[in-house]
Amino acid sequence: MTTHLDLRDISVSFNGFKALNGLNLSVRKGELRCLIGPNGAGKTTALDIICGKVKPSTGAVTFDGTALQDLEEHEIARAGVGRKFQVPSVFRDLTVAENLEVARARRPGVWANLRWDVRRAGRADIERLAELIGLTEHLERPAAYLSHGQTQWLEIGMLVAQDVELILMDEPTAGMTAQETRKTAELFERLRGKHTLIVVEHDMGFVKAIGDIISVMHMGQLLAEGTAAEVEAHPEVRRAYLGSGGITNA
Amino acid sequence: MTSKTSFPTGLPRLGAQIAPILIVCAIVFALPLVLNNDFLLNKVARYLVLGILTVSLALSWGFGGILNLGQAMSFGIGSYAMAMALKLKTIPVHTGSGGLPDFMVWNNVARLPWFWQPFKSLSFALAAGIIVPALVAAALGWFIFRSRVTGVYVSIITLATMVVLNLVIIDQQSFTGGFNGITDLAQLEIFGFAFDAYGRATFYLVASCVALSLLVAFAFTRTKAGLVVQAIRDHEGRVRYFGYDVAAYQIFVFALSAAIAGLAGMLYTIVMEFASPTFLGVQLSLSVVVWCAVGGRQSLVGAFLGAVLVAGMQGALSESAAFLETWTLVMGALFVLVVLFLPKGLAGLTKSAWRWIVRRRLASQGIARGVGQTREGSA
Repeated sequence: MTTHLDLRDISVSFNGFKALNGLNLSVRKGELRCLIGPNGAGKTTALDIICGKVKPSTGAVTFDGTALQDLEEHEIARAGVGRKFQVPSVFRDLTVAENLEVARARRPGVWANLRWDVRRAGRADIERLAELIGLTEHLERPAAYLSHGQTQWLEIGMLVAQDVELILMDEPTAGMTAQETRKTAELFERLRGKHTLIVVEHDMGFVKAIGDIISVMHMGQLLAEGTAAEVEAHPEVRRAYLGSGGITNA
Repeated sequence: MTSKTSFPTGLPRLGAQIAPILIVCAIVFALPLVLNNDFLLNKVARYLVLGILTVSLALSWGFGGILNLGQAMSFGIGSYAMAMALKLKTIPVHTGSGGLPDFMVWNNVARLPWFWQPFKSLSFALAAGIIVPALVAAALGWFIFRSRVTGVYVSIITLATMVVLNLVIIDQQSFTGGFNGITDLAQLEIFGFAFDAYGRATFYLVASCVALSLLVAFAFTRTKAGLVVQAIRDHEGRVRYFGYDVAAYQIFVFALSAAIAGLAGMLYTIVMEFASPTFLGVQLSLSVVVWCAVGGRQSLVGAFLGAVLVAGMQGALSESAAFLETWTLVMGALFVLVVLFLPKGLAGLTKSAWRWIVRRRLASQGIARGVGQTREGSA
């Protein structure tokens, strides 16, 4: 279990506001890491840095020995990093099956994809996936007609289809009902071990249900790291959440 | 597992998608049987060529999400490539062998300019009419899409580029024929077979190219690359994080679209018997956008029919005394109405009507279980 992903002294500022201020974070292979922290702690920005949406002003991101900070987004994705955004981002005019097909980016070049058989070859995979995310009935419907929860699952399914080493999830249960959240936690159990996951989440119940190690961020830095019980007992963490009703209500 | 194959009103599968294209092509090929008038046939051929041009825009706009307001630039380049080759064929007759095109003589040009030289070869001209627009589009697209320019700025850049080329052509009269264009052309002859603008051979040539462009464009939309291009239209930013080089896909569809427009331009020269700066003018280029929107930009057949019908109507209106002055107003009103009430154009309207009929029939047969429920939310 060596270091898989390593963020070293990452800083980034937006119009003078330091969103990240010397962040250090390492994640091992196969881990399911939860990233929590008060609003504005820089959790989403940390994911943005890893997947290349935001470039750090200083610091380095290493993934399996590759320096990610100098690569473009699609190159980072090809290196094995997948991202789920907070706002569900699927292709609304395409059907569920087509969405999953786009996500199955085995060979991402234009010329390699100028063929018809590419789409037929993945059909069995896509049907298996649709079963996993419970959308078998909806395969041929445009994604625009899915409910919010279904859209979230479709996007998670797309990340599975993409089959990358490292998956970054930003609030996968936001806006979900309790039942949907439970189903999502089950989905995560299936992903565990096959992929390395970093999950930004507010719902502490969910975090406790899925997480091994929790990293707590505050003011663009790593504040504490450990199991749920450890971080809850951590004095610095208690102080950071002061006034917001404690970590469980964050 | 069975539900996906028996989903009755879902997105059409291959057969249902290609059927309208085959039907339209069959009708086009059958037209000479009905239209027994060479003049009319030539006019229809003209509208069919504009239909091809509009299909090319549907590919980049409807499928790729790239609103190219300078689509007529590729059309114009194709048209001039053909005109230059056909003009050089007239030299032995007009100014004697070893001479120059007549307008160059009038402008005191001493030698045939270097960029005219290769057009002595007809094969070169035929290839250039398609390849040059594609290369120009790829180069322009490289600058636009590599620097992640999107939306209205793409439209402004493409429109401006076209206007610049238009002005250059008008200004360089001695080399391009200027404002008058290149007129008085020889007939296209391939393997000893002459294409008279008013002959059936030309009509069938145009009809074949209609079928070819529709099928090529359709084939592209069925590939995975075509799917990725549509995904880029829906959510450009998201596609990057799956590992696709978005700009490469945009450049490709932009160039493919330009190649088809170039083909249309070459045919236009054959049908019209001249090339003119108006072929890459703002008015034509914007008309194509209207035709495409009216027909339905997300449907290749829709865009094609939109062009043929609206351009045909434009032709009829502008020739009738009552609408001589006001036909542009009628066109403008049509565009506004379509944008407001038919965002997917006539193709979208037809599709909704078709679904409605299917649902009604299934409901009357009492097997609507699931159909009504699944499609209701989508209406």
